[in-house]
Amino acid sequence: MVIDRNLAVTNDEGNPQELAIMFAESIMDPAPTSLKPTHKIRAAAECIMEKRYRAVPVIDDDGTYLGVFGVNCLLRQVIPRAAIIEDGLDNLAFVNETLADLHQRFREIEDKPVSFCMTQDAPTVHPDTPLVETLLVLYRNKSSLPVIERETGKLVGMISYWDVGEKILES
Amino acid sequence: MTGAHEAAATAVIFGIDPTWFSVSLFTLTYLLIITERLNRAIVSLTAACLMILGGVISQQAAFEGVDFNTLGLLTGMMLIVGVSKNSGMFQYVAIWAAKRVNASPWGILLVLTSVTAAFSALLDNVTTVLLIAPVTLLITESLRISPYPYLFAEIFAANIGGAATLIGDPPNIMIGSATGLDFNQFLFNMAPIAVVVFFLTLIPIYFIWGRKLHAEDKYRQRVMAYDEGSSITDPRLLKQSLFVLALVMTGFIFAHHIHLQPATIAMSGAALLLVITHLPLDTQAQSRSVEKAFNEIEWTTIFFFIGLFIVVYAVETTGALEQLAHGILDLTAGDRTITAMAIIWVSAIASSIVDNIPFVATMIPLIMSMGDAFGGAENLEPLWWSLALGSCLGGNGSLVGASANLIVAGFADRSGHPIRFLPFMLMAFPLMLLSILVSSVYVWWRYL
Repeated sequence: MVIDRNLAVTNDEGNPQELAIMFAESIMDPAPTSLKPTHKIRAAAECIMEKRYRAVPVIDDDGTYLGVFGVNCLLRQVIPRAAIIEDGLDNLAFVNETLADLHQRFREIEDKPVSFCMTQDAPTVHPDTPLVETLLVLYRNKSSLPVIERETGKLVGMISYWDVGEKILES
Repeated sequence: MTGAHEAAATAVIFGIDPTWFSVSLFTLTYLLIITERLNRAIVSLTAACLMILGGVISQQAAFEGVDFNTLGLLTGMMLIVGVSKNSGMFQYVAIWAAKRVNASPWGILLVLTSVTAAFSALLDNVTTVLLIAPVTLLITESLRISPYPYLFAEIFAANIGGAATLIGDPPNIMIGSATGLDFNQFLFNMAPIAVVVFFLTLIPIYFIWGRKLHAEDKYRQRVMAYDEGSSITDPRLLKQSLFVLALVMTGFIFAHHIHLQPATIAMSGAALLLVITHLPLDTQAQSRSVEKAFNEIEWTTIFFFIGLFIVVYAVETTGALEQLAHGILDLTAGDRTITAMAIIWVSAIASSIVDNIPFVATMIPLIMSMGDAFGGAENLEPLWWSLALGSCLGGNGSLVGASANLIVAGFADRSGHPIRFLPFMLMAFPLMLLSILVSSVYVWWRYL
């Protein structure tokens, strides 16, 4: 469903003109792939790798949004924590680690639940967030955006760069 | 009537006695700083304004109370360290030192605490732990061992190292500025006992944690594979920073002979470093870079100092601190040994619980006014060393005792190895008392 709010504005000649305002709901994918917080990290990682997702929403059995799991979550687990924490090291050029070292780190957490490393404070939008504001949040977030119902906190969709690109090309 | 008394304004608001007004406001300021309900910079600035608005002192007198030598030294060093740290030299030294001991866990604890103590003495301890703690976390993560003993020992090293020199810790900067005691005097009087306390502190740390520290060879190899050279992100800046730091240290050592105050030396060093690092940049890049450099100054600390100097000066102008000094002298029967011991122990206990900066700011005029009782200002030296040792080392007594402690605790928390208040205090407070006991013997043996 596309929510349009018709506003009466005037054109250069002073004649009334209708302007259709679009919202986040207009461009979201209403049936996105999602994960449960109890899914194992390995399974979640395979899911995002297979479908080339940057971020997948995590929801509970009622559909309430809990956070997102994405590539950044995985990177956060394999990069030394001393560089990721606030005020941490700003470069790791002197650390010589191999892919085997990184794999070893991943193996230590692969059986843990997704809730262990999902991002809970990722930016989100509501179905009635105006289109341009939605695009700005998307641009700043650099990852897909969960769309959350304001009253219930339930996930109602996801907005990716691809959804936006398609909509713009279609129009 | 002293000069300070003459600075007092004549009309106090609502006709309240200026002594009562200023002492009440001063006590309230202290309480608010202790409770941490409101940021300490806001508290001290508000109290300073109220001292002027209340008529305790005039604006002109308030400005006279601000110790610009302390502020200049702090600001200058913050600028120098803020610019230098971008070169990666701190990481380089830490990694280089860790590799020299073949990445053995106890060896690394020894060298990292030594590096922390040395940098804390020559720069400032807050910046030092900000730069050493992340490297410590990286090394312990690679070794697969808990960072707790390392961070605990680094807190002690930062405060002990800071106590060793004029520029290491704000209490020393304030004492040096107020009394004229120079860099060399601090070095010759404070550094020897700081070295003793440092190694003494490591003994219980070894028996509690050190002897049990173990890392598998494969993990030690990871640390040995670090390429410390790659941690230098800007070799040109490194050379420039080392050059300026060497000049500044030389300036501090010869300050007495060249008749320069520490603030002038630190500020000149900061100005020189800014000139040589910004000359090659175009106007736009210069603006961005200068703004970044000045953002490295901890402005909240600077304004906290400004407010505090005014508040303490306002109380001083009413003669309340002089009365308090006489009260203390009555208690200690005018005996210099008892007074020195009282100062070192009270400073230590107080500094482990509350911020040592307001405490030292209050103690300075208080000790100054004891000059006559002890036959002149030159006989006060043991009291100054007692105050410096008590307030700097006392900071080790609890997690809130010093800014460096809180910064390390923050890193520990974020890395998933939190340092809790009570467990830390259970270990740290007795260790702090031990350091004060040794320092008391030192003061008594050397000066009394």
